[in-house]
This record gives sequence, structure tokens and C-alpha cells, in this order.
Amino acid sequence: MSFSQPKEDKEVEEALVREFQAGNLEAYDKIADIYQKKIYGLSFNLTRNQMDAQDVTQEVLLTLFRKINMFQGKSAFSSWVYRITLNASYMKLRSKKKEPNISIDELMPSFNGAGFQQEKIQDWSENTESLMFTNETRDVINKAVDLLPEKEKVVFLLRDVEGLSTEKTGEILDLTVPAVKSRLHRARLFLRKKLSNYFEEFASRKAEK
Amino acid sequence: MICCKECLDLLYDYLEGDLDAETTKSLEEHFEDCPPCISFLNTYQSTTKICRETLNQVEIPEAIRDTLLKVLKDHKESN
Ligand SMILES: [Zn+2]
Repeated sequence: MSFSQPKEDKEVEEALVREFQAGNLEAYDKIADIYQKKIYGLSFNLTRNQMDAQDVTQEVLLTLFRKINMFQGKSAFSSWVYRITLNASYMKLRSKKKEPNISIDELMPSFNGAGFQQEKIQDWSENTESLMFTNETRDVINKAVDLLPEKEKVVFLLRDVEGLSTEKTGEILDLTVPAVKSRLHRARLFLRKKLSNYFEEFASRKAEK
Repeated sequence: MICCKECLDLLYDYLEGDLDAETTKSLEEHFEDCPPCISFLNTYQSTTKICRETLNQVEIPEAIRDTLLKVLKDHKESN
């Protein structure tokens, strides 16, 4: 399910970074162009606020401009950009009052003593198409992601939304591969449960009609 | 036979193709006998897909894009 950065892209980017480090401003424009949407998207999904995402994007792009020489190529350039973006987004979040996280454990699957599933599991996977583009569905999905605890949310955004590999996500967050996997799995279980509540309710609403 | 709990614990690695042949086989045997776990597998995959599609729709609003361009331009010129 991962689609990590193609090799050519990575080489093009590294060449651009070297050119910019050597003083070529056009190379900077290209870098800014490549990353602008990714920076904005990630910070918006973390902060859920246009102004904050704008501030973060501006700050990160200016940091890339001013501090490009601090990038030494020890990790991938994109990992460096993602890390700066996450730090800037967290600064924004920290300055705000936070709603308490709900416990993720309560939404994990439950089993009987023999290890078999206790709840009735409906398969709504075929019914999502028609609902996908309604505002209500989008809202439910955004809210569900928003409810994820910070640790799980960031792994989910990098790995499943941005489509980075497990290794790369680990590099950015300074986590081992097993730690990335387990957080991602918990995030998916949590979201599955939240979305199940919605799609199952929708199915029963439809049945009543 | 493995139980549902083991089955769901293996789900992630199964979808990544990271399980050895023997474990894959016992997992698939479980799926054959357990419709709830099939439903779970399908909705687990769907969850990732629809969340990705929804959250990837974030675009930079035109006005913000213009502001960013201007800030960067000013900054470059002042250097
Ligand atoms: Zn089962």
C-alpha cells in the first residue's frame, strides 16, 4: 500500500538542493513549488485551520530559503522538510487549548475468552462509493482523524495520507519500523471503528426508508 | 486454527505482504471460516483508502497561494 518517492524524483530534488546551495534562486523556486502543497496539506491536516496552515507553510518555505546550508544530506531532503513542517505545526497546536484525547483503547476490537470477535462486523466497504463525495461523509472522516491521539495521527498522516514508506516515516519521526507499524495499525483500527459507526448507521437509516 | 484476535494482529503485515508462507496460509484458512474477519479485512482496507482520498483533497486556497508567492518574492529581493 505504500508508494514511496520514485528514485528519479529524489535525484532531481537533490540536484535542485545542491544548485540552490550554490546560490541559484531559480532552483529554490522549483523546490518551493514541489513542496508547497505537501507542506500546506500536512499542516492543514494537523491543525485543521487555514490560517495556521498558511503560517506554517510560509515559515517552512522561508526556513528552507534561509537555512538551506544547514541541510547536510544525512537524511533525505524530503524528510528534513517534513520534520520542519511537523515542528512548526506542533508549535501552532501547542499555543492552543487542547481538547482532551479520547482513549484509543476503548475503540480497539474486542474478543471473547477464546479470542473470537465479539461484535457483529458489517461489511460496508462496498457502500462507500456513493457516500464518498457528500459533505457529511467528508466531515465524519475529518473529525475521526482529528480525534486520533497525536502519536497515532502523525504516523497515519505521513504513511497513509502522504504515502511515505514505513522506513521513511520512521526516519522523520525517529521511530523504529515496528513502532511505526504498531501506531499505524492502531490508527487504522480506531478509524475503522469510527467509520463503521457512521456507515452502519447510514445503512440502517436507508433500510428504514 | 488461529483465532480472530491473532488474525487481526496479523492484518497489517498480511496486507504488506510481510508474512511467511505458513502464517499466510493459516490466516487465509481463518478467513475462509470466518465471515466477520473478512468483513473486518475489507473495511480495514476501505478505511485507509477513503481517509487518504478525503485528506488528500486539501488544496492551497488561491488567496493564500498569492500571499505566499509575494512573501517569498519580497524576501528574496531583500536578500
Ligand atoms: Zn475471525
